[in-house]
Amino acid sequence: MATTKKFTNGSSVLKIFGVALCALFLLTSCQVLGKDGLIIMTDRSYKATVFMTNKSGFGAPDGLRWFNGKLYLADEGAGALEAWTSDGGIKTLLDGQFGARSPEDLVIDPAGNVFFSDDDAGGVWEVDAAGKQQLLAGKDKGLYSTEGIALAPDGSIIVGDTDAHQLFKVSRGGDVSVFLGREFGIAKPESMTFDDKGNLYIADNEDNVLYLLDTNHQLHRVIDRQNGFSPETIFYSRGSLYITDSQSGKLYIYTPNEELKPVAAFGGQLRNIQGVTTDDRGDIYVSVQSDLKHKVGYIIKISKETAVS
Amino acid sequence: METCDSRSHRFERRDLLITSVALFTFIAELTSRLSGLNDQVLLRVNGLAGRSWLFDSLVGLTQENDLLKAGIIGCCFFAAWYSGKTTEQTRAGRKILLTTLIAAVCVMATTKALSKTIFLPRPAIESQKIYHLSGDDLVELKRTNVRVPLDEESQKEHRELVNGDVDSNDLGSFPSDHAGFFLTISLGIFLAYRRIGLVALGWTVFVILAGKLIQGAHAPIDILAGGFVAVTELSAVRLIAKNRLDSLLEVLTSWSFKYAALSSALLFAIVFEISSTLFHVRQALALLAAARHHLLG
Repeated sequence: MATTKKFTNGSSVLKIFGVALCALFLLTSCQVLGKDGLIIMTDRSYKATVFMTNKSGFGAPDGLRWFNGKLYLADEGAGALEAWTSDGGIKTLLDGQFGARSPEDLVIDPAGNVFFSDDDAGGVWEVDAAGKQQLLAGKDKGLYSTEGIALAPDGSIIVGDTDAHQLFKVSRGGDVSVFLGREFGIAKPESMTFDDKGNLYIADNEDNVLYLLDTNHQLHRVIDRQNGFSPETIFYSRGSLYITDSQSGKLYIYTPNEELKPVAAFGGQLRNIQGVTTDDRGDIYVSVQSDLKHKVGYIIKISKETAVS
Repeated sequence: METCDSRSHRFERRDLLITSVALFTFIAELTSRLSGLNDQVLLRVNGLAGRSWLFDSLVGLTQENDLLKAGIIGCCFFAAWYSGKTTEQTRAGRKILLTTLIAAVCVMATTKALSKTIFLPRPAIESQKIYHLSGDDLVELKRTNVRVPLDEESQKEHRELVNGDVDSNDLGSFPSDHAGFFLTISLGIFLAYRRIGLVALGWTVFVILAGKLIQGAHAPIDILAGGFVAVTELSAVRLIAKNRLDSLLEVLTSWSFKYAALSSALLFAIVFEISSTLFHVRQALALLAAARHHLLG
């Protein structure tokens, strides 16, 4: 009898503890306390807004570029190249039906032809201004896992390959040649961009180095394994280099001969920042892959407080 | 014609609705008041910081120096392990302390899991310009007016924060794992041996946890939640131990008497880990996880 009573009392106490724990979980899950995505503005002159969410129709984008009022997205989550306009929304330009699997980064030439890399399907892909799709150069030409992509001043495409640890030059006719061989020691050419003087910046997010290849084909280490720095995507505009760091969730602006300046630190489900670009007004756009597998992503706009949004 | 039953059901539904609305209003009001109280207490206690370099350095020392911070609690644990006027008293005390250790590990796991799930930054971080993702919008959070202590370490951390160097651990301060862990150990010591337990509890509350508030590392709600987890899980583990693990605890305590030298050596390792909030154990587990990731992919 006494044992039964003891057991019953024990069960009741356990139930109370269970309810208490559930209450704690509920309390901590509610909006009052739960902050599941944060952006800390380390440069207080900037403000942050959500520019687009999945409701716009994209998956989880990586590379971004503005061109003639259109935002182009290398949508890694959806496995497609997409273009967004304020009136027309998202439009798919090339997707898995044509062979793309995991678009990484993109560049657009002055004529409006879009080129993108794909780290799963490999190769350099093109959607021209008229919407015609083609695989400019594929795995058969040694482009197995393409990441960073840049448009050279001569109009050719420079693409980085992670498997080959090399940079390749792809002509508009699809001819592939080595641009920067293994001897230069670049581990993972994740992103690339040319500045206005013809120098090529290369982000290596495996060795955590930002390189600069000058016009004499000399490679320099601009930021070399600086504490906690790992460049994911780089984009050059108006004398400054915009850099995302997906490992530490930070957005930087680097101006040559000056220090690396952090603009914002991303946390929680906004931590995994990927692509970066700017528009004509100088507003910064950052893509966030909150959950690549489940295609959850955001595009965040970072603009000056005084700027009209 | 309306039956008595249907009328009664209608009244019941109406009563339920009124009760629900009243309860919701009460909870909303309570949450708002608690939030206000939380801010007030934080600002009052944190207001002690940033006035005297010596005071801030002393507070900083108790937070950074493991010997001062947790070594005292470790010493209390050691003393409680060997206390007891009779063998039976010592045996009973050791059973409680062993249960406490199990609870402390559970509390640490719970607080870490919760803090990784809930992104509530430290008050010092909330003093910065922060946007919070609320639905599909970014909403600027109200900035807390936290004072920065004048000691070197706090000043260095503040410079790093202004520079955007934010540790991911600083984004999940709810609940306080220090509050959870040290309150569990101190309460366990208190249950085993009152006087030593009072020393441990006093040190935990007035030195370790008050220091966290003064430095702006935690808000009162973080510490209260940590304390809640500690009390709940210590009680639950004690209850389970009493009903299910008594024979195992009996064997372990008997073993500690039989092999006194070896058990003392093990106790040293345990107290050493208590003094570092299980830092080395977590480091070893992280290495195991990394090795698994590298070897198995």
